[in-house]
Amino acid sequence: MANTDSVTLPKARPRPVFRNIGFGELSNYRLPIPGVASIVHRVTGIALFVALLFLLAMLQMSLKSEAGFEAFRSIIWGNIFGKLVLIGLLFALIYHMVAGFRHLIQDANQWLDLATARSTAFASFAISIVLTALVVWRLC
Amino acid sequence: MAASSKFITEWWLQRISAVVIAAYALLVIALLLINGTPNAAQWQSLFANTGFKLATLLALVATAYHGLVGALHVWPDYVKNRAVLAVLNAYTWVVAGAVVLWSVYILFGLSAIAK
Repeated sequence: MANTDSVTLPKARPRPVFRNIGFGELSNYRLPIPGVASIVHRVTGIALFVALLFLLAMLQMSLKSEAGFEAFRSIIWGNIFGKLVLIGLLFALIYHMVAGFRHLIQDANQWLDLATARSTAFASFAISIVLTALVVWRLC
Repeated sequence: MAASSKFITEWWLQRISAVVIAAYALLVIALLLINGTPNAAQWQSLFANTGFKLATLLALVATAYHGLVGALHVWPDYVKNRAVLAVLNAYTWVVAGAVVLWSVYILFGLSAIAK
């Protein structure tokens, strides 16, 4: 050992580089599934809020008379557009509720470790899709 | 009321309203899954029931409040323009107020489901 100075030095690790990303690079960055669960909870909440007055109009129509009920049915179930809107809102409601339960549990400082946050985010989507499908199947 | 305690009250009320809405939604979903699609008579007799009317009113008032708090918190995260934000906040208050008033009218003002 001729050079004793060099052997005691730890091997230099590459230092992390932080920089701003360009818009074109955004697609290289994937939002982790708990992040997806969170943003979809927000989007479904806003969608449901925006739909509230329409839904009340539908409720009023359905309760006004027998003819009103039939008119309401033909709007939401008589054509493909109405069906898609109804199924979308149904999923929004069910997902917002299921993910909301998950967030309530997280409010109590549970399920916060990464593995559980991932698996419960995935489960929220799975449960919501299955429950929505069940209701739609029952409406058919 | 101090600002911090107002936010804590709001935080709790938003979560309590969430549980109220979820309980009602699960009840309606269970009824749908058990009984299938209702016809006009079944649907309207369900809403003629006073207990169901009160549960529906409670759920809709909870929805108005829950949506009000939720939307007022979400808008400023994405909308930085003050004028646009003011319009969205005003819209949110109008919708929340309208939901409460309209719900009372629908549940207690329609002759088809009056007792």
